[in-house]
Amino acid sequence: MANSAAATGTITGEHSADGGTTARWRQWLTSWGLLIWVGYLLAIGLFAMTGSDLAPYDPTAQQVLARLLPPFSASSRGFHWLGTDPLGRDMLSSMIAGARLTLFIAVVSTFAGMAVGVALGMMAGYYGGLVDRLVMRLTELQTAMPMFLVAIFFLTVMGPKVINVIIILPALVWPAFASLVRAETMRLRNCLFVEAAVASGCTERSILWAHILPNLASRIAVLAVIEVGHVMLAEAGLSFLGIGVQPPQTTWGLLIAKGRPYLAVAWWLAIMPGLMLGLTVLALNLLSRRLATASGAAA
Amino acid sequence: MNYGSLPAFTLRRLRDGLVVLFLVTLIIFVLGHVVGDPAEVMAPVDASEQEIARIRQQLGLDRPFGEQFVSYFGSLVQGDFGQSLWQDRPALTVVNEALPATVLLTVVGLILAGLGGSFLGMLAGARPESRLDQGANLLSIVALSVPNFWLGLLLIVIFAVELRLVPTSGFTGWQSLILPAGTLGMIHGARIFQLVRSATFEEITKPYALVARSKGLPERFILWKHILRNTAVIMATTVGWEYVRMMGGAAFAIEVVFAWPGIGQLMIQAASRQDFPVLQAAVIVAGAFVIVTNAAVDLFYRYLDTRIHPG
Repeated sequence: MANSAAATGTITGEHSADGGTTARWRQWLTSWGLLIWVGYLLAIGLFAMTGSDLAPYDPTAQQVLARLLPPFSASSRGFHWLGTDPLGRDMLSSMIAGARLTLFIAVVSTFAGMAVGVALGMMAGYYGGLVDRLVMRLTELQTAMPMFLVAIFFLTVMGPKVINVIIILPALVWPAFASLVRAETMRLRNCLFVEAAVASGCTERSILWAHILPNLASRIAVLAVIEVGHVMLAEAGLSFLGIGVQPPQTTWGLLIAKGRPYLAVAWWLAIMPGLMLGLTVLALNLLSRRLATASGAAA
Repeated sequence: MNYGSLPAFTLRRLRDGLVVLFLVTLIIFVLGHVVGDPAEVMAPVDASEQEIARIRQQLGLDRPFGEQFVSYFGSLVQGDFGQSLWQDRPALTVVNEALPATVLLTVVGLILAGLGGSFLGMLAGARPESRLDQGANLLSIVALSVPNFWLGLLLIVIFAVELRLVPTSGFTGWQSLILPAGTLGMIHGARIFQLVRSATFEEITKPYALVARSKGLPERFILWKHILRNTAVIMATTVGWEYVRMMGGAAFAIEVVFAWPGIGQLMIQAASRQDFPVLQAAVIVAGAFVIVTNAAVDLFYRYLDTRIHPG
């Protein structure tokens, strides 16, 4: 396991200039299992950025004669790895096209929630007192609330548009960031380097942003990776229920919903997009765990 | 969250629960009445401005915001959630009819999750790094990575469509409970498994376990008699939190997948028909479950804490 391996260096008496960080990262990067998942995520990211350019076929090209073909079947157009939908469109291409909006919503929402959570957490942790109590109260209330239900209501009232989804999803994640950052800031506030910064006349703002935040960065990044996965699942749920993203835009959640009526005759329509979504979230979870042991063990 | 002595804590926790419930109703009210325009929604499509204004006045929507909320909250407290636009019955009645199905599904799912997750968690925690441990752990991570509604669909394909062992959907007898409750059990059981596993792992190296081992007691006895006592707390609180997750939305996606006639399916049907009274009632009732369970878990934990650390 990563922990014991990282510790052996000190047990045998080896010391390196950077405290073993390079060795740990190199060991982490060369682990085969992880490379597969990182490669998968990079591929998904590539799909998201290039849209349908990398898809084998045009996702909107209908070919009704080749409708509802199971995976690994061929049509006059070519080979369909994941089959075709009721209008003959290639499933793999649809899924690749759906990656863009899925990832966009997930990343942007997580980022927004992270920004809010980190800001509030740092203020609560550093200033303490009334600010801290206020932020704590807010986090407690938010966590106790059935936020997903409120989101359902919000989207029904405001309309199921992408922009509304991006507005409401950060509300699901910011408390996690706020709690983490608050605890860490409180811990770091008493460290010597902060005292030194204050003594040398740094402004509070520069202490927070230039001194404390860099030390939090790895912990925040680990949490962010997990939360992107959670937000992706939440968005998929909302789109599946019909109150998230609407056609003609596609996300993986919406693709699952579209495939649902055909479950008895063409199971791959609903199952394949879900598989891609599940693998993506799984990759994020595994990556986040590795990141935690590789970087968090020391920090 | 140290609130002080047990009675004081109980009161404060209950107060907090009520505060959150109040906030939920306030948010629902604001979203429903101020942001959207109920008069426009309820008026016929070709209604003129005057007709819409008349409806607005009829519903009391032209009164000041504060007054509207007070009367809204007052009716809520008396159990009047308005009239369903879709079924022309009291909204609360519609919700109450759907409630038992949801309770049945979530409770059975919770039992499966609790039993399965705890049992496997203890076994895995007691044999760290074994094949059982590594396999089950990986499986739990996978279960928590996939969308729960997708897992439900997959199980339908395998067990209902291909193997024809159970019905595909609907509430048609106890067999139709197997798949939806099983799906919930798998996913929520996965998290229970993870927490019980790490708790068990911590316990097996503690002094009391070593003493028991040195007395010559068999490992299995130690596990199920002594360690279980200490992990039982974690099990109970995690089971409580998983129920919060279920009623907070997770169970509702499953209901939709399996066409289970519960609150979740009702919510989505109401949403698609723009039936705001029923949607509000469903959200508030489900929210109340979440808040009550949350408070119950906190109180339970605090009560146990007092017994372990008296005074």
